[in-house]
Amino acid sequence: MMAQIQKDNDRLDLAPKKFNMWIFIFTSFMFFAALTSGFIVYSGGKGHGLNVIMPDAFKYSTAVIIISSITLLLASKAAKQLQFAKQRMFLWLTFVLGVAFFAIQVYAWYVLTYKMNVYLTDPNASRSFVYIFTGMHLLHIIAAILLLLNTLAGTYKNIPQVRNLFKMEMTSIFWHFLGIIWIYLYVFLLLNQN
Amino acid sequence: MGFRKFINSKTLLSFITAFMLLGTNLLMAQTEAAATTGGQTDAPQVDWTGVAYYLLLFFLVCLGVAVIGKILKIYDLTLKIQGKKGMKWNTVMAVVCLVFLIAGLYGAYWSFTVQGSMTLPEAASVHGVKIDEMFTVTTVLTMIVFFITQILLFGFLFQYRHSDKRRAHFLPHNNTIEKIWTIAPAIVLTVLVVFGFFTWQTIMNTTDTKGDINIDITGHQFAWELRYPGKDGVLGPKDFRMVSAANKLGVNFKKRSSFDDLQVDTMYLPVNKSIRLNIQALDVIHSVYMPHFRVQLNAVPGLPTFFKFTPTITTAQMRTQLDDPKFEYLVYCNKICGGGHYNMQKVVRVVTEAEYQAWLSRQKPYLNDALRKELHFAAADQPKTESQNRLALNN
Amino acid sequence: MSTLAVHDHGVAHHDDHGHEHHHNQSFLSKYVFSMDHKMIAKQFLITGITMAVIAMILSILFRIQLAYPDKTFPLLTTLLGRFAPNGRISADFYLSLVTIHGTIMVFFVLTAGLSGTFANLLIPLQIGARDMASPFMNMLSYWFFFMASVVMLSSFLVQKGPASGGWTIYPPLSALPKAMPGSGEGMTLWLISMVMFVASSLMGGINYVSTVLNMRTKGMDLWKMPLTIWALFLTAILGILAFPVLVAGVVLLIFDRSFGTSFYLSDIVLNGVQQPYEGGSPILFQHLFWFLGHPEVYIVIMPAMGISSEVMSVNSRKPIFGYHAMVYSLIGITVLSFIVWGHHMFVTGMNPFLGGVFMITTLIIAVPSAVKTFNWLATLWRGNIRFTPAMLFAIGMVSFFISGGLTGIFLGNAALDINLHDTYFVVAHFHLVMGSAAIFGMLAGVYHWFPKMFGKMMDEKLGYLHFWLTFIGAYLVFFPMHFMGLDGVPRRYYAFTEFVSMQRWLTVNTFITWAAIMAACAQVAFLYNFISSIFIGKKATQNPWESNTLEWTTPVEHLHGNWPGEIPTVYRWPYDYSKPGAEEDYIPQTVPFSQTMSSNQAHDFEDNPKGLEELNKFNSTLKANEQVK
Repeated sequence: MMAQIQKDNDRLDLAPKKFNMWIFIFTSFMFFAALTSGFIVYSGGKGHGLNVIMPDAFKYSTAVIIISSITLLLASKAAKQLQFAKQRMFLWLTFVLGVAFFAIQVYAWYVLTYKMNVYLTDPNASRSFVYIFTGMHLLHIIAAILLLLNTLAGTYKNIPQVRNLFKMEMTSIFWHFLGIIWIYLYVFLLLNQN
Repeated sequence: MGFRKFINSKTLLSFITAFMLLGTNLLMAQTEAAATTGGQTDAPQVDWTGVAYYLLLFFLVCLGVAVIGKILKIYDLTLKIQGKKGMKWNTVMAVVCLVFLIAGLYGAYWSFTVQGSMTLPEAASVHGVKIDEMFTVTTVLTMIVFFITQILLFGFLFQYRHSDKRRAHFLPHNNTIEKIWTIAPAIVLTVLVVFGFFTWQTIMNTTDTKGDINIDITGHQFAWELRYPGKDGVLGPKDFRMVSAANKLGVNFKKRSSFDDLQVDTMYLPVNKSIRLNIQALDVIHSVYMPHFRVQLNAVPGLPTFFKFTPTITTAQMRTQLDDPKFEYLVYCNKICGGGHYNMQKVVRVVTEAEYQAWLSRQKPYLNDALRKELHFAAADQPKTESQNRLALNN
Repeated sequence: MSTLAVHDHGVAHHDDHGHEHHHNQSFLSKYVFSMDHKMIAKQFLITGITMAVIAMILSILFRIQLAYPDKTFPLLTTLLGRFAPNGRISADFYLSLVTIHGTIMVFFVLTAGLSGTFANLLIPLQIGARDMASPFMNMLSYWFFFMASVVMLSSFLVQKGPASGGWTIYPPLSALPKAMPGSGEGMTLWLISMVMFVASSLMGGINYVSTVLNMRTKGMDLWKMPLTIWALFLTAILGILAFPVLVAGVVLLIFDRSFGTSFYLSDIVLNGVQQPYEGGSPILFQHLFWFLGHPEVYIVIMPAMGISSEVMSVNSRKPIFGYHAMVYSLIGITVLSFIVWGHHMFVTGMNPFLGGVFMITTLIIAVPSAVKTFNWLATLWRGNIRFTPAMLFAIGMVSFFISGGLTGIFLGNAALDINLHDTYFVVAHFHLVMGSAAIFGMLAGVYHWFPKMFGKMMDEKLGYLHFWLTFIGAYLVFFPMHFMGLDGVPRRYYAFTEFVSMQRWLTVNTFITWAAIMAACAQVAFLYNFISSIFIGKKATQNPWESNTLEWTTPVEHLHGNWPGEIPTVYRWPYDYSKPGAEEDYIPQTVPFSQTMSSNQAHDFEDNPKGLEELNKFNSTLKANEQVK
């Protein structure tokens, strides 16, 4: 009678897993925050500015990653409405956009190195930071693409809807987060490019 | 019973020490012998008897522990058979805690008096005195806390040892007392922080005190290089790109101020003069550590730093003070820098102004003959460009 | 046996294919690739102990060098080969020993071995959960840790020896393979190992936080959690926030080492050869490293604090004094630990004003630590203290924490740090406050929860022997070191023979070495006790320590899902020991207040007006009855 029943014991064990993803995103954010504060300490402490105008490729890649977020959103919507063909289609689209983002980033490196003479091993390491930021972000993109493929594979196998939605949600959280991180990094670089 | 156990372990202990002493003597004698033969054959033989001795000793100790354990168990059982309660281990441990407290307090006192007297002599610099005052205050405060808390900890253990007759006092919290012991340390620490903050600021924030003598100290694997300014009192600039076999520090000889710089071997400092140590490193991080002057600052490649201080006690004075005719002030490395880290020292001599001037006049310039040869062309070109500059300025 | 457990997960089990819910588990899935948190805890513990023994042996090796710098020991050549030519450990290998000893002890033993073991064991058991949020990630966490350990140890097989730049691996020393032998392949392996280790820690930490926040049983609100859970939870948060920063620092270091960037390198002339690096800042690495490094020392000590609090409360048969203050001080330490890292860098030549700020924050963190200490003392006061080995180790932890913590007040003071930085004073300080204290917390945990882990009891007498020899040994080793530090004797010196002024410390060094050897031998008592008790120990009862927390309501035999039936509901905080009016001197968390009317106090119903009403009614009837009599 005096017992306070506060929590329902019957919970999906998927909820804590989703929570895991959020915490992971937090650690990932800390990682990029550390890199950018490293940049601030480096460029502020010794007066090394970046002095590089960011290549246009970054604009395109930003557009691509934003569009890919939209397509993934549409895929989620389709999944919730049980339109699996549509979900599959949008997932494929997202995948293609993801690969395109990857390719554009690599192209941006090419432009930086060969057209603008900004090297990874530049004596001014704030320029090396550009490569580190994008490179570390691309590593995350690879992981996200693998996650996406996993979800995509799920849609071909007849898995329960609960599971399908769960996978969609996990992928979405991570994918949108990477979009946000990229925008953060890009804006950071733009602000510091002079 | 606790008493009996104590005797047991004590006799055992003396046995062990006797064994150990014997063994150490044995082993030492043998290793020394091995060392002398090792020098000739270059392949020292392993002294297996020594190893076997120690293994046997360890085995014996284990056996002893096992035997004592068995005896205790049997004793415990007989007690129980006789209808008494078994051994009161709680009481035994409580007594051991008390014994540890007393022995520990004595040990701490012994350590403070004997080893405490082996520590550094009084600070030989102006700011060092402030640090020492700060140190004394902190020591007194922390030691009071140390002794009180340790006595309470082990005292409580003895006082409130387990008893079947008693129940513990149910006391989940007491807000007043918790507030007191949050605020009390906060106040003490605030005092220490304020005191420390200002001491620190006066020591490090020395932009307005002028350094009478500029001395350049550069660390590399594994030695310190010293450079004194010449008559102009200005040290020439350096550039790591100019390092060569003859120009170890990379002094830039495009500047006039570099020409009269002196290279010295021992750091001579005039007493009661403000010194500015310019600290640099060539390869990895080193740390300039002069404990007698309470001076330490890292030498970081690519990040020149400096430390200003004023020595107050000459080497001669310190020698009489310590009654040690061989005493020398030292500067050594205190940041891990490689295999030779443990031997990066230079002698520091604090002398009177007259002695300092006499010593300074004997020092050789950094620009030695080998370096002159190396720089021959550059040096020949140099004055021209400078005169042009002057012309340009005049215009 | 595990089918029962599954149903509680509701919908989850329908689509949970591929989980380990079959009856006859193979050896591989039960003992090796287990996803059961209790088995993973045991794996962490045993790996941790193994690593601890290895690191201890390394410390004995360099202690021998310090005690007998002029003697030759041909046996060392036989054992170590090229690392100890002519019977003496070489100077480079000495530094390797110091480095690997530090790395293993700090990361592999006191982070993974301590947090990994007890978070895995206790979090689900003490909050009432079937398992971790993600058992698979939990398993990965262990295997990453295992691989990291193997890689770290494998660096001894490399021709030039393991990493030797100190556990803080400051560049440029660690970034230039030619600066010292250990900075070659050894350093590469160190970095690989650490990246795997961080991955392991993060996976573990994410799981711990998620489990504590999402999977508590009915009635287990945050203020009913035992202090162990609070400590492990906050430790996990610290790890999650701090470890990614270390990775960032390490990534930049890897680029400097292998790809020729110059984040940390500048103006370097190595052995007379100019290096092509410009503009880097070695201080940047120190900032990134210590932003992890300082929280790391709290990652090490906080679980030990939590375990000691729990063990001391159980064995003094008294509630922990000031439960709320204990939690708030843990939270305070967690928050403050992120703004004190600069006190490791007072003498790097950083801005003096910044140094002053870091000094203030550092000394503020001493306040919550002091509160904890006083609360522990108050917990013992008027207790009914049972000296189990776990209790002794918890007490040892408090004693070390006081002794080592007080010297922290010297080192946190920037002005005093000028002369104490990197001397033996520092060595003494952190070995007491985070080394010995944390390892004692860990051992307290092992002795206390051994019955839970293995279903057997450890031998108490051997535990006593182990405790006293280790406790005395640790004090004998580290106490004299303070005075060496006060004489300006630097740490990480291969030998003190080159300095006339340091030669008088030789006798002290010999003494310390023998004390260390004694303490090391004492660990044999523990290892024997630990291993033999697993096999031939006395069978444990369900609640051998008469403790209140939930883990003791599970059966002695382990089963997947922990509780055979429904997960018990929690009604009260975990520290109702020796409550006046109660029959026994402990009331488990699962006992509702309705069953203990005689011992309830107004205090128990602070935020439960209904309950308070009931209590008042009960008390008034009681009074009325007495008046009738």
